[in-house]
Amino acid sequence: MSVDNDPHGSAGAGSGGGGGAGSTSETFEDVDWEKVDDAHRSLSLKAIIIASIYTVFAAGVIYDYVIKTPGTDTIGTLGVNLQALDWLYILTLLSILCFVVVPLYENKRMTRYYWRQFRKNKAAVVSLIYLGIIFVIGSIGPRFLDRPTVDPSSAYQPPVFMSVEEWMPVECAGEVSGGRCHGTWAHPLGTTHEGKDILVSVIYGMEVSMQVGLIAAMITITIAAIVGVSAAYFGGWIDAVLMRYVDIQITFPTFFLYLMVVYLYGGSLFSMIVIFGLLGWGGIARIVRSEALQRREEEYVLAAKNAGASSFWTMRRHLLPNVSNSVITAVTLLIPGLILFEASLAFLGLGDPTIPSWGEVIASGRDDLQYAWWISTIPGVFLFFTILAFNFIGDALRDALDPRSEGSGE
Amino acid sequence: MVGRMRARHRSGRPEVVTVSNRSADRRRGSNETDEPLLSVRNLKKHYPITEGILSKEVGRVRAVDGIDFDVHPGETVGIVGESGCGKSTAASSLIRLEEPTEGTVQFDGEDITEYDSDEMKAFRRRVQMIFQDPESSFDPRMSIGDAIAEPLTVQGLTDKGRRNEIVADLLERVGLSASDADRYPHELSGGQKQRVGLARALSMNPDMIIADEPVSALDVSIQSEILSLMNDLQENFGLSILIISHNLAVIRQICDRVAVMYLGEIVELGRTDEVFANPQHPYTRALLASIPTADPNDRGMGVELTGDVPSPSNPPSGCRFHTRCPEVIQPEGYEFDQQTWRRVMDFRQKLDDGALNVEAIREMRLTEVDEYETIEEVTTAETKVRLRDEFDIPKPLSDPQAEAVLESAIENIVTGNEDDARDSLATEFATPCETQSPALEQTESGQTASCLRNENELPPTDLEQTVRSD
Repeated sequence: MSVDNDPHGSAGAGSGGGGGAGSTSETFEDVDWEKVDDAHRSLSLKAIIIASIYTVFAAGVIYDYVIKTPGTDTIGTLGVNLQALDWLYILTLLSILCFVVVPLYENKRMTRYYWRQFRKNKAAVVSLIYLGIIFVIGSIGPRFLDRPTVDPSSAYQPPVFMSVEEWMPVECAGEVSGGRCHGTWAHPLGTTHEGKDILVSVIYGMEVSMQVGLIAAMITITIAAIVGVSAAYFGGWIDAVLMRYVDIQITFPTFFLYLMVVYLYGGSLFSMIVIFGLLGWGGIARIVRSEALQRREEEYVLAAKNAGASSFWTMRRHLLPNVSNSVITAVTLLIPGLILFEASLAFLGLGDPTIPSWGEVIASGRDDLQYAWWISTIPGVFLFFTILAFNFIGDALRDALDPRSEGSGE
Repeated sequence: MVGRMRARHRSGRPEVVTVSNRSADRRRGSNETDEPLLSVRNLKKHYPITEGILSKEVGRVRAVDGIDFDVHPGETVGIVGESGCGKSTAASSLIRLEEPTEGTVQFDGEDITEYDSDEMKAFRRRVQMIFQDPESSFDPRMSIGDAIAEPLTVQGLTDKGRRNEIVADLLERVGLSASDADRYPHELSGGQKQRVGLARALSMNPDMIIADEPVSALDVSIQSEILSLMNDLQENFGLSILIISHNLAVIRQICDRVAVMYLGEIVELGRTDEVFANPQHPYTRALLASIPTADPNDRGMGVELTGDVPSPSNPPSGCRFHTRCPEVIQPEGYEFDQQTWRRVMDFRQKLDDGALNVEAIREMRLTEVDEYETIEEVTTAETKVRLRDEFDIPKPLSDPQAEAVLESAIENIVTGNEDDARDSLATEFATPCETQSPALEQTESGQTASCLRNENELPPTDLEQTVRSD
């Protein structure tokens, strides 16, 4: 019961503002609504910061594509040249910051509660740490490491602590003893048949996988949430048009479209992500719609209307947060699917040939499985654990994010 | 609860909850001769029934079909009726949570049905609503504090510090603690949530609160707590309250005036004490008779409503209550015992609806008599008796003329001439209730009621006597 709460709580909460009338704090009767109406509607600090972040981003894109001379680096002095994919990735990370990290920080109590629930699933906690490491290494590594290069002289080096028959590598980089070539720290995870360092390839692959998963998920969530919630809230012809479009889009052979793009323009990670992001949201939009339809009938939506709330407010503050459960669950299944799909395309040679993705490294080792098992196996292990981790996290999030589950579990 | 609430007030505030000037003005003005705060005229809400892809309208559910009433400043008005009679729809359409189909709603002299969206948004500050289900009237992902502050935020109070102060104060006034602002709805009980609902409604400092079944989802012990809190708040802030309930005890406890609704229409309207002491409409009498009493010797007035509530998509002609009214007016030229007359009307009603199945009656007889093997063995005479039994119609009726009419009708039905039976019953046993719509009129005991008995100055039937003498 609330009645035995600590008595200081009220005083603390009550005197927090200080904008009230004189010595006592403000009550609802003191509000002069005419003054409120006349007052300039100032945006909150948070809204201004978020808006300026996106403005800076937009300015960066405009600079890169409109103002600067084509063919030069984005930031010449640092030698940084941002591609379309990099801009998209930056946008994704900014959006995660603004719409995931900041709200979590603002609602500390809810965040702590989610975390307590999430923590119950040990596998998910380990998965989170694993993905965190992958994300950090994948983000930092490629900035400092050179791309793996073809070097026939150092082909087929075994991983450290491993050894192969002496005849296999062209030139054994490590110690040769007893007719076997031993691995060295120069190539901790060994090298491919072209002499590319597998560790470096795997680190580059981490960035690729994170980009594929996060960017496509961001595109998907944004479109699916807007379409699903609007269809449910407005109903009528808006619902009919949006959902019939979804029906058509779901039947659309996205894979063939991508193949055509590959044949016409060559494989590129950017076009893969954009095509699958822009055409893959139909299923999630349906989930969002059906969930939002239920929520729309709840009395709190009527209560918001009774308070004078706009449609946008109701969708943003009530429908969207309440469908987030199913969206997050669906997305945590979508991300590993996309990562796996990218790996498969790269394995088939339909990926971006300039980007060392895990699928490509796995493919490059498939002829040597008998002698050089590590080439395919090591990136395969990373791929396996990444997908497993997303699934575990999705599972734990679904349990943790339901605010009504407290007390029923444990 | 109240004591604790007052003790918590900081020294800067007087012990008793303060009354603002605006509220005080309203209280001084709470005189029924004054201009009404809310004045509803001919309010209708129809839901179209559509068919096919082109959404062709094939009918209408007349949820609310022309109601008139006033609410004066500081007054509590109740709307009471069975489920499905349109009382909740009336509440939500009169403040345009659903757009009314027809009618005007004057609030403080202005017709709110003419308002554009900006005016409507400003109007929302003046009338707030409390919802029936405390479980669903709060967003599970919004803290209690945010939920109470939502109207403030929406209406443009952007300063979070000010909002927090107001919320803390409101929580204490409704008997919760200011620190509850951080909690989430699932952490509160139903009664606590309904208190929060009151706080949310109060946050706009409204002139009027509409409470749609505010206590029906709560335990009886909590119900009275919430009702007395509403009463306190009304006294302190001079609120007008419109309360929707199917529970007569609730209405009796807090309402100054009450409107009784049946199938989208108001059938009786008056001061609560008058309506409860001397109900003028048979429906009100039936509702009141249904209240259980604690006296084991009081077996109730024995008024029982027969038949189903008709569908609002096809309401009965004339007086909408005539299909169930225990006091339905008898036809001229015949002399019935009132209860028997009601049974004959039930029989007529069934026949008119096409729901009378002679085959089924025969089958019933077949199952009762062991010797019979097939339906054909059931004789016509037996079927006729069984048919009367089915409707509890005595044989013979006390009036020989009426008996003749009824007997020939039953004969026709059993022999398959249902149309003839229908026609003869309709002409012989016609009641004014099925053709004339009664208007809401002033009655002798003060309130208004819409019953042809009052219009034609017929005395109310003494059903109690009839039943007791059985």
